[in-house]
Amino acid sequence: MTSTTALAPVGEDIAEHIQREISEIVSIYSRLYPTQRLNFILYEGKDPVWGEPSVTEGPFTFQPQHMNAQFLGQFERPGAHPGAPGVTIRLSIPRKPLPGEIKQMDAPWAPIRRLRAVHRLAPLVYERIRYQAEMLRKRRSVKRHPRVSLLRGDGSSLLAPPRPPESDKRPAILIGMHWLEVGGAEKLGFDTIRWAQQAGLRVFVAAGVPSIQRLAGKLPDSADVTFLRLDRYLPPDLWPRYVEQLALAENIRLIHIHHCRPLYESLPQIRANLPWVQVIDSTHIVEYADGGFPRSSGVWSNFIDIHHVISKELVDYYREHFHVIGKVRLGRMLDRAEHPKGLPELNMQPGKKRLQVAFVGRLYYQKRPVVVAEAFRALSAWARRNDVELTGKIVGEGPFLDTVRGLLRRYGLADRVALLPANAPVPEILRQSDILLLPSNNEGLALVCYEAVEQGCIPISTDVGSQAEIVPPDLLVPLEPQACVKGIVAAVDRLWRDAAFLSRQREALVRSWTDLTRDPTAEEILMPLYQQAAAGLQE
Amino acid sequence: MSALSKTAAVIVTFNRSAKLMKVLDALDGQTRRPDVILVVDNASTDDTQALVEARARDDLSIRYLRLPQNIGGAGGFHEGLKVAYGLGAHYFWVSDDDAYPLPDAIERLVDAITAFEARHEWRPSFACSRVEWIDGTLCEMNTPRPVWDWPRFLHPEAAWALVDSASFVSILIPRWAVEKHGLPIADYFIWFDDAEYTRRLSRSYPGIFCPESRVIHDTPDNRGVNFALVDEKSLWKFKYGARNEASWRRREAGLMGVLAYAYGVHLQMKGGNVPWKLRQKIFQAIARGMTFRPKVVSV
Repeated sequence: MTSTTALAPVGEDIAEHIQREISEIVSIYSRLYPTQRLNFILYEGKDPVWGEPSVTEGPFTFQPQHMNAQFLGQFERPGAHPGAPGVTIRLSIPRKPLPGEIKQMDAPWAPIRRLRAVHRLAPLVYERIRYQAEMLRKRRSVKRHPRVSLLRGDGSSLLAPPRPPESDKRPAILIGMHWLEVGGAEKLGFDTIRWAQQAGLRVFVAAGVPSIQRLAGKLPDSADVTFLRLDRYLPPDLWPRYVEQLALAENIRLIHIHHCRPLYESLPQIRANLPWVQVIDSTHIVEYADGGFPRSSGVWSNFIDIHHVISKELVDYYREHFHVIGKVRLGRMLDRAEHPKGLPELNMQPGKKRLQVAFVGRLYYQKRPVVVAEAFRALSAWARRNDVELTGKIVGEGPFLDTVRGLLRRYGLADRVALLPANAPVPEILRQSDILLLPSNNEGLALVCYEAVEQGCIPISTDVGSQAEIVPPDLLVPLEPQACVKGIVAAVDRLWRDAAFLSRQREALVRSWTDLTRDPTAEEILMPLYQQAAAGLQE
Repeated sequence: MSALSKTAAVIVTFNRSAKLMKVLDALDGQTRRPDVILVVDNASTDDTQALVEARARDDLSIRYLRLPQNIGGAGGFHEGLKVAYGLGAHYFWVSDDDAYPLPDAIERLVDAITAFEARHEWRPSFACSRVEWIDGTLCEMNTPRPVWDWPRFLHPEAAWALVDSASFVSILIPRWAVEKHGLPIADYFIWFDDAEYTRRLSRSYPGIFCPESRVIHDTPDNRGVNFALVDEKSLWKFKYGARNEASWRRREAGLMGVLAYAYGVHLQMKGGNVPWKLRQKIFQAIARGMTFRPKVVSV
């Protein structure tokens, strides 16, 4: 490799950053084009996450725009032989993120311009309009986003399928994540990285969505775990070929997809050229607008060996829309080791004079933070009427933080409802709380509900996704925002007034929790597959 | 001739779980087991779903398509063929939930259709089995209709008669025929959907009747489709049959075709001494068929 030619003198930090990124880039493209002559043209990125890669196979002609103000320079990695064909790769090296960007990438949320006044005057009316738009999208989504699996031909026995090459490397797994940021799917992704390592697999991790990847630092610090920055430096259309090269070179026996779109799109290449590689995917939540990843996964179902799902709703979803049963495996996102043997008594008692209500979740629209604030407002009015001292804790960060803070201040709740960061001690907060609110627009099966129940805190949730599997019917409230707020107040009121009702809810919670813990966990479903792959066997 | 022969069984069922399980057992025992078994459930209210799910958990070849409501046999076969086509099958073995194929029934059909193509160059648009009732006699309602030159390729060692109409009871349809002629008409709901479809397929080339492939049709009685048999209990089915066939005759032969059909129905009902009240309802159904123009959906 020749060295870069046009770097002006720069600080040590920046030079180090650029050199580190260059070695990452060279490693990715050397894998993709092992024998070609590679010409890298580099730019200084304005963006902290995306390298805007562009690849030209064959001769490349410089145009004026190729030497713009951000032009850093170019270098070459020679080909395997003098006549090797050339490939030109143009990309920007993302700048380091600013401290504010590390904390929060999304701009603070603002209502759409035309409805700003509506939000100012009546936030709940604004929420209702948004809810109606969402439901309209849901109704249209079936036509716009068909639930039909892509056809996959099995081929003829006349032509033998490719066979795995001999490899002296220990079997490996490629785990494709959506991104390395906080979220339920990502929690499972990190768990699977740990389980794969425990099973004896070498682990390659890639993320489908460019982002700061804030949790990258939480990947196990091990030579067996490699994070590939494909999200930054590889155009999505080149993922299939890259994955093929990676699998062949690194003896990848298993691919596990966690909401990673470019990996779904790599499946035809994998199935055609690497039929021995087993493909698993895990899905969590059906989105209204387009069905979300369960729909994508169902569309790719004929290319996937096993669908791991976390709720019965998803088992039904795959059966109803994609007609598959046998390869769908339910594995709950629960850790048997962390389970208490039984559930504690509820923190709430009838007629209790001090109530604490909690909300735990990322402050994104999916969790409907505005409805949370409105619910606190309504509960506060209820508490005043009934001479109850009500306090609240909202744990979470996100673009709605400023909006929620503003609403709490406007409703005079700022001194009673604390806003806590995402790293606040959730189990302790739930142990001190009587009620957990979860008025989400959509959920899979919210983990925080398990945690709440295990801490004696009663979850009240919208009747969405698989929430009915953990929350008793009397504690499920409608999705429509105004009815949701009313439903929350009515449920709290009844729990507070009616000892028999409260006792029935505890029994129902114990029943659902016990049922859930009887189902296999994700680890119990996935670990045997990992172990088989590590032992060189496939299901 | 194709080197590809992925076979999908399409079984439409409604509230007959015990018989359906026997069909699935019979498919398990096939010398040429279908690569995919698609059970199309017309919103059964019995234990069909639970039983199929229990089997499908251990058998990856079973696919289960539960329809949100009962759209009749015609709707079920339409949806089933559509899904099976999307699964990439090259042959579709289509049958009812109360027809048990003998162990070599599917193999014989596939062998016959491929051998016919190899020997005679023509491509049969379907191959159908000999359907027997539970006592071993020919099942009246599943008798295929031969074309005028039905014995053209019939030999003692390969007794395949050319037919242009057959029922959806153990019929093998090649992928090309579905690709070219589309799907059965879902709007028929019940009756005549199979006759219309196979006659449509036969526009390319007739199908073949393969007596060496046998299937047992477990129906309560062995009755044919004859308007002399109309009674209060079976009236609803005959009405669908009359409307659907009238609609088809209107499409294929115009008004004269419908009148000829109505006259034939009249003679049958007269012969069977069908009460006037019921005859009137059948004629009303024929009249409805004049304006009933369901669309043929392509894949």
